[in-house]
Amino acid sequence: MTHPKKEIAAAIEYARSKDWRVVEGGSHAWGQMYCPYNDKECRCGEFCRTSIWSTPKSPGNHAKQLRRVVDNCTVHRNKVTNDDEE
Amino acid sequence: MTEFDFLLKFDLPDPETDPNKFVDALYEAGCDDAAIGIGQHGRVALNFTREATSALEAVASAIANVKMAIPEARLVEATPDLVGLTDIAQILGCSRQNIRKLVVGNKSIFPSPIHDGNSAIWHLAKVLPWFKAKGNYKIEDNLIEVSCANMQVNIARQMQDLEPAFHRNIKALLA
Repeated sequence: MTHPKKEIAAAIEYARSKDWRVVEGGSHAWGQMYCPYNDKECRCGEFCRTSIWSTPKSPGNHAKQLRRVVDNCTVHRNKVTNDDEE
Repeated sequence: MTEFDFLLKFDLPDPETDPNKFVDALYEAGCDDAAIGIGQHGRVALNFTREATSALEAVASAIANVKMAIPEARLVEATPDLVGLTDIAQILGCSRQNIRKLVVGNKSIFPSPIHDGNSAIWHLAKVLPWFKAKGNYKIEDNLIEVSCANMQVNIARQMQDLEPAFHRNIKALLA
């Protein structure tokens, strides 16, 4: 199923495009997303697994938060920087 | 009302606790404006986007919401507050080398770090106004306000480790 709020559905698609695993289920949570790297050295460890609300206060803000979690992943960021340098 | 973006990290009483079990309680306590990070046992992190009349009110009410859901949770840190060169560069959207050059070149007038050395750190609230005064950086006022609020919260948390008697003696010397 796709998330009923289109901004959040788009953010989830964005996470999937960066290889995050999305698992549906929960009561207030629509589901959860898991970082693909599962890296012990990761400095943003808590957000390697992030809860996605069904009905957040502001769908637009929640979508932004989820995108930021993906973009802030340090392994992902280093990969992008290395790619840039090549 | 202004929107403030900030992150709170809490320790759970038992380091083996899966924070996922608190997700519904956090929602019901009013954390529906946060993304909740549950990737580490014994920890929970919340990325808030909160509307409030001030940053202090936003951060304090967010902590109150978390304590309502998990009374035994202990605040570890409110961010953004403590930053190194890499963090400053990222916040200002320029390269680390660029920021390093500015900081080293202006050592006498740049705000003092709270730790100097190989990896110096500053309170963001102390350095943002300096960069803003330089004029060529776009820095939102609500970021400055939230960094001030986070500094207050983090210092208050650390004050819990301060011996009151010692504090009285040392206060005058630190002025």
